[in-house]
Amino acid sequence: MSGTTRIAGGLLAAALVIGLSGCGGAKEAPSASDGKPVSDAPAKGGTLTVLSNQDFSHLDPTRNWTMPQMDFGIRLLYRTLTTFKSEPGAAGAEIVPDLATDLGTSSEEGRVWKFTLKDGLKYEDGTPIVADDIKYNVERSFAPELPGGPNYAQVYLADADKYKGPLKGARLKSIETPDDKTIIFKLKRPVAEFAFTVTLPTFAPVPKAKEAGAQYDNRPFSSGPYKIETYDRGKELVLVRNEHWDAATDTVRKAYPDKIVVKQGLRQSVIDDRLIDSRGDDDTSISYSDVTSASLAKILPKPDTKARMVSEISGCTDMIGFNTSKPPFNDPKMRQAVQFALDKQALQTAGGGPEMTEIATAYLPPALSGGQAQDVYGIPATGDVEKAKALLAGKTLDVGMTISTGDKAIGEAAQSGLKRAGINVTLSPVDPSVYYDTLGDTAKTPDMFTYGWCPDYPSGATFLPMIFDGRTIVEKGNSGNVWQFKDEAVQAKIDEIQAMTDGEAANKAWVELDKQIMQATPAIPFAWKKKPLLVGKGVTGAFGHPVWAGQLDYATLGVKQK
Amino acid sequence: MIIYLSKRLAAAAGILLVICAVTFVIFYVVPSDPALQACGKTCTPERVAEVRAQMGLDRPIWEQFGVYVVGIFAGRTLAAGVECGFPCFGFSYQNSLPVWDLLVDRLGTSVSLAIGAAVLWLIVGLTVGVISALRQGTTLDRSLMIATLTSASLPVYFVAMLLLLFVVRVTEILPYPAYVELAEDPMAWASNLILPWVTLAALYAAMYARLSRAQMIETMAEPYIRTARAKGLPERTVVVKHGMRAAMTPIVTIFGMDLGGLLAGAMITETVFGLPGIGRLAYDGIVKSDQPVILGTTLLAAFFIVLANLAVDLVYAVIDPRVRYS
Amino acid sequence: MTTVSTPAASPVAPAATGRSPSRVIWDRIRRDRAAKFGMVIIVLFVLIAVTAPLLTMINGWSPYDFDPTAVDKRMAGVPKGILGGISAEHWLGVEPVSGRDIFSRVVYGAQISLLISVLAMIVSVAVGTVLGLLAGYFGGWVDAGISRVMDLLMSFPSLIFMIALISVMPEGNRVLLLVAIMGGFGWPYIGRIVRGQAITIKHREYVDAARVGGAMGASILFREMLPNLTAPILVYATLAIPTNIGTEAALSFLGVGVRPPTASWGQMIQESMLWYEVDPMYFLVPGTCLFLTVLAFTLFGDALRDAIDPKGSR
Repeated sequence: MSGTTRIAGGLLAAALVIGLSGCGGAKEAPSASDGKPVSDAPAKGGTLTVLSNQDFSHLDPTRNWTMPQMDFGIRLLYRTLTTFKSEPGAAGAEIVPDLATDLGTSSEEGRVWKFTLKDGLKYEDGTPIVADDIKYNVERSFAPELPGGPNYAQVYLADADKYKGPLKGARLKSIETPDDKTIIFKLKRPVAEFAFTVTLPTFAPVPKAKEAGAQYDNRPFSSGPYKIETYDRGKELVLVRNEHWDAATDTVRKAYPDKIVVKQGLRQSVIDDRLIDSRGDDDTSISYSDVTSASLAKILPKPDTKARMVSEISGCTDMIGFNTSKPPFNDPKMRQAVQFALDKQALQTAGGGPEMTEIATAYLPPALSGGQAQDVYGIPATGDVEKAKALLAGKTLDVGMTISTGDKAIGEAAQSGLKRAGINVTLSPVDPSVYYDTLGDTAKTPDMFTYGWCPDYPSGATFLPMIFDGRTIVEKGNSGNVWQFKDEAVQAKIDEIQAMTDGEAANKAWVELDKQIMQATPAIPFAWKKKPLLVGKGVTGAFGHPVWAGQLDYATLGVKQK
Repeated sequence: MIIYLSKRLAAAAGILLVICAVTFVIFYVVPSDPALQACGKTCTPERVAEVRAQMGLDRPIWEQFGVYVVGIFAGRTLAAGVECGFPCFGFSYQNSLPVWDLLVDRLGTSVSLAIGAAVLWLIVGLTVGVISALRQGTTLDRSLMIATLTSASLPVYFVAMLLLLFVVRVTEILPYPAYVELAEDPMAWASNLILPWVTLAALYAAMYARLSRAQMIETMAEPYIRTARAKGLPERTVVVKHGMRAAMTPIVTIFGMDLGGLLAGAMITETVFGLPGIGRLAYDGIVKSDQPVILGTTLLAAFFIVLANLAVDLVYAVIDPRVRYS
Repeated sequence: MTTVSTPAASPVAPAATGRSPSRVIWDRIRRDRAAKFGMVIIVLFVLIAVTAPLLTMINGWSPYDFDPTAVDKRMAGVPKGILGGISAEHWLGVEPVSGRDIFSRVVYGAQISLLISVLAMIVSVAVGTVLGLLAGYFGGWVDAGISRVMDLLMSFPSLIFMIALISVMPEGNRVLLLVAIMGGFGWPYIGRIVRGQAITIKHREYVDAARVGGAMGASILFREMLPNLTAPILVYATLAIPTNIGTEAALSFLGVGVRPPTASWGQMIQESMLWYEVDPMYFLVPGTCLFLTVLAFTLFGDALRDAIDPKGSR
């Protein structure tokens, strides 16, 4: 970096502060660490550029179920019955009505849920959004032609076992649409939090007339504030305003920029460099994916650049899992030995250091355990090798560990820590795309592996039962309970908590269950990460949304007018 | 000649078919299951089976292969009733786009990259080679040869990173490379491709300089050059008309092969500079186990290589009739 | 790269003094300064590779030891101190994040990188020579079969294929896999050369004489013909090593190199690329080693070729 760019950077930052105080100064000074937006000077117009190292896997609302693109789709292209507030911190985890007029009314102890649509809702061509279009999209999530999306509808809806989707004309009876404004869901069992479930893109409208099967992915029809102008997959997506979207019906989406361009297939390190420099058009650009840890080393020492980095807690827990179905890790003692031998501090450094990662000591992230991280074992951060050796009782272990290619540093840190106690680990890096297949085949599950879990919405119910219930294990394509952990007492406890109607009590019970499972140690939680995302100097309203794993909330992003 | 040509064409087609079959088999035994991947996070075994049937993956391998090969020429209809017209290379598992469209789309980038770099390295490489040859043994010759050796010994990505660091990051002479279509904005197209061109050209120019120098020295020692000189022709004419022409013949053939290889995608250069070319497409396909894309890119790449070989052989056959009967 | 330099065919001209041909070649190489430079570097790196365990014993760091005290945790793991953490403790600095000793890793990296490239060269030369000889000597359907296979392999987009093959085989010994794949795709180049040579010499007098004398196929091939092909094979072998080193590095760059925590130069360079700005030493050390080795083998190979065939002096 030359001296001149640095001076220019300093000047711009100063101008930004003055601009803020000129506005009346009700807002606090921008800061990255406390979850507040990086800068807050909303203005309509301009072009926001999103620099991405990848293509969206699915923008089709039926199939969109991975974190960054869920946020992107829901905030820009389609609306759902309810949605999360567009606010940082805990407030972001609250839901508000979106297409619906309220958060839904339930009857029959939560087995039937009814939503009413707002007036004046329109698609990008001006045709009205009707209740049947939402029903149609939910039905699409059953179609084998359109896999990959959230499976909540299949799990919750009544009389849907044999249903194979609407593409061949069959409709689902357990969703009723008595008129264009009303939609009624009939469920198998009571679901108290169904109002949260309908924030998922499965509950966005898709007009039947626009059905294109798998090709719909390339041109989803917009009900949100933007529509697709061009989409050259893997290269560029251009969004322009949807003139028929009515801001009066939408309390969440701000839709500041006139145009949003997503440039895909760039190298992440190049994206980082461009945003650090933030010159020319990069001024109004943001990063789609996390900055690399090497780039963090460039960003952290520079306060003005660091101020442009959003780093919200992702809400996910990173774990090292065991195959508990076969030796040596069918023995809880051996698993505990690893628990003690692991050097979590080295893992933390590998994950970007204390600025970016907190050492995890329980499964539930602090947000799900009342804001307070619990620590069951109280092991020092660098591990307790003596205790580990005592548990191993003179034995040495030779085990395999499968990691995804991007987690090499993590794998090496684990390997080096365990070696101290006589546990020799052979690392097998596997490409991320086949990683979950490898874990999911119970015949081939490696001795050790890394795994992460993020709650779908802030509730212990989307966490512990999903990964520790022994009844969910399937032979192939196993996910969630990848450690094949079967424990009658834990399962009984899960059923007990799920039957609770008191949310407070349930939350406390989940925390207790967390402790109980930690004793058995089917997996070792090691990191609660922040999501580091860099934005250009001219970007406004950038903050990490707590529900979408700390991804930028696309509803509030804007660019400064030049 | 016609018999020779048809024989060669048949051989080329055979090679392509075998390459297709080998690729097909390799990715048939791959540990990852495309159906499982498509199915998403939590997926019941029944649903995986449905998805597999949907994708046509439940049929035996030879049947899938037959369908694929016939589809290339005749087009085919997929299970969901989606038409895949000629030439049908299937649909990407990743984004459901026809692989042929993806190939056509990415080819522009690879062609832009290859042709631009080729022009650059031919000019620089041959100039350096010829000058070195004519000044054989001088300090100029030696320093040029040291430079080319150095340049040839540096890995492509090393050069690429240095260029990015100095031309883009430090001096800010050029913007970060981002591919722009030629038709869209020729100036932006060129300025964004300069660095990749230079990167590739640095490697090839060095090889061509060394090669053309050697050829040139050999040719200039031939008796007919002496004869030409003795006839009193100007040195310029001797060098250009007699020397270079003869020296270039083997270079032209190697150039054909190199260009063929590059048209098939310069994987590392495209990756470093984030250019959406064939090499990048192939790499992404492999990484994501996107079998139709891998098959398509491999076949296209093999096609270019086979085509280049064929062209080179044909040129030889025209020059030297003996080849046809050997 | 598709171009593989084809060494000139002519046998070594017998010198007037009556020295043996190999002696002549050796003398020529010794007079060539570039070749000597190349040789010194090659010897140096081979020594380093062989004595790696000893060298790391002296500096006291295994290539796998983490040193958290040498990196700044708060700054995403940048090495503490100047020039990537160079100190009396760590002679060439440390890796960012893990704090592993770069000297130890580069020394062990030399072992792996040279091992892979030399083994791959041996595989391709062995297979190429045998099959090339068979094809050239027997002709007919043997030749047709082998030549088709060579054509086929040379038409494969090899880089795409190598990556694809390695990524579908996640299990097993990565070093052997790399050797097998690089050797497997490399042999047709030498095979072609040997085949061509074999065709030209199979009707020379001494071969005919051996045949008349009742020698069997194998004996003719390996006793009579092979020694006369040593020169081009030797040149090819020398020049194949830098190509293989480059390929190993390229594969590592694309994420399919050796398995961690094993160090190879290619893998080190790939990791260090991200850090080139913050920690240039991390990038420069393995980069320089790779560059010097490739350069040295190329210089030596060129000189060897010139020495064997002085006519095409370059």
